[in-house]
Amino acid sequence: MAELVVKAAEKWFHREDGSPFKIIDRLSFEARAGCVTVLIGPSGCGKSTLLNSIVGLEKLDHGELLFVNNGRNQARPLIGYVFQSPRLLPWKTIGENIALALKGAAVARDGWSSRVEHYLKLVGLEEYVNQFPLYLSGGQRQRVGLARALAVESDVVLMDEPFASVDELTARQLRETTRRLCEQLHRTVLFVTHNLAEAAYMSDYVVTLTRRPARLDEYVTNPLPTPRRWGPEIYNFAAQLETKVTLKEE
Amino acid sequence: MAFEPDNSALMTAQRAGVAGAETLPPAARSGGAELTSRLLPPLFAVLSVVGVWWALYAIYPRLLPSPLSTVQEAIRLLSDGTFFFHMYQSLRRVFVGSVVAMLFSVGVGIYMGTVIMGERFFQPLVVLGLTIPGLMWALIAVMLFGINEFSPYFAVTVTIFPMLVINIWAGVKSLDKELMDMSHVFHFTKWMKISQVILPQLVPNIFAATRYGLGLAWKVVVVVEMFGTSNGVGYQVMKSYQVFNMEGVIAWTLTFVVAMIVIEYGIINCAERRLTAWRPKIDVWRR
Repeated sequence: MAELVVKAAEKWFHREDGSPFKIIDRLSFEARAGCVTVLIGPSGCGKSTLLNSIVGLEKLDHGELLFVNNGRNQARPLIGYVFQSPRLLPWKTIGENIALALKGAAVARDGWSSRVEHYLKLVGLEEYVNQFPLYLSGGQRQRVGLARALAVESDVVLMDEPFASVDELTARQLRETTRRLCEQLHRTVLFVTHNLAEAAYMSDYVVTLTRRPARLDEYVTNPLPTPRRWGPEIYNFAAQLETKVTLKEE
Repeated sequence: MAFEPDNSALMTAQRAGVAGAETLPPAARSGGAELTSRLLPPLFAVLSVVGVWWALYAIYPRLLPSPLSTVQEAIRLLSDGTFFFHMYQSLRRVFVGSVVAMLFSVGVGIYMGTVIMGERFFQPLVVLGLTIPGLMWALIAVMLFGINEFSPYFAVTVTIFPMLVINIWAGVKSLDKELMDMSHVFHFTKWMKISQVILPQLVPNIFAATRYGLGLAWKVVVVVEMFGTSNGVGYQVMKSYQVFNMEGVIAWTLTFVVAMIVIEYGIINCAERRLTAWRPKIDVWRR
């Protein structure tokens, strides 16, 4: 099981007039193996940029991203990613969308259908395998995105505000499903959110970031027991987190 | 006393379709109604053209042949087999030229849309190509290659190629970045990115380009056939023109139009419906 170590990460962008600005500044933390590490910080502080750097969509200017497996560094493995919007190919069925991710992950073709079926069952959508995404609700599509990220069976899974675009009731169901699967499958999950109650519910560890440029503010261990249940203690912990982070715009 | 459930309220609610009450699904639109709504508008369009023609014939009988005599000429062409032979020749030329142009244009369009150097290299060539009329290419092809099959193929390919490229290039420029990122994250190979992510997004552009390109290809083929081949619809139109057979010219034009309609409705529309079955129908003017 891999651990993700972010070491002195630094990232610069350029404004339209060409002047540079720093978005991530010497950020270091680790996402422990088999646990859910939640990243919270003000909007625009570079959380999504960090996730994009981890999967290779962006390149860090300085610093390192290490994937440590049994004490040894390894090259960047395949990483499961749950995007803010589901990003499913609308011309492919739900089953084909997941199967394409399996093909990209070089999974043998004869294992595709059983794996698609298994992960769709885990998110409660097994009967929609032959349905096109545009015929599903937003919450159902997000579940498919979750199933796809888990189906590639990578050690590391990134989730970038995965429930931000669905209504609160659906988001609550999705959180419960995701947390249950994280506890069940023991993947190393790095989860970005703005929602403190969500952070309290989903996390084993919480990394709070400062305003832009993002630096490590605090590394908090979630004291709540597992399996996690919604209750007043979630909101109490969320209130504690609120004292540690100021979620305001620059 | 035994409790007797009173279902009358529920039954009334069901009949009235009250929310929460179990109701039957609404009946699907019948096949006949669907077919009528699909066939009637184009039928009216054709009939209106025939009506205008008939009216003009009634006013200026020496200017235009009657629709009836033209239809009789068309029936003669169909019954003696002349039509099928010459239409096949023209269709083959249009098809080969269009397929070659499409293959090149998909490659060049994707290259232009994804590689900045490709865009810089091909853009002036494409703009230059767009400004050259198909008639010029038809003349150049016959002068360069003589009276043989290569002339129409070449003329069709070079005439429609820039227009196809422009469409596909525009489509590539508006590709969904989020889907491209997704394909990168999930380690899609280059071929998977092209076949599963890029080409499906280009389907509307490819169909628009095909429709326009086929229309243009027909025009070019007819021109080349008029003076560069010894068969085909263009050759037959020219022959009719030389003996001032107006019925012949219009009959060939009509049969040619019918072939185009068959291609549009029988092949292109069916293929488009099949390839876009994933998209829910949108009723823009719904109230």
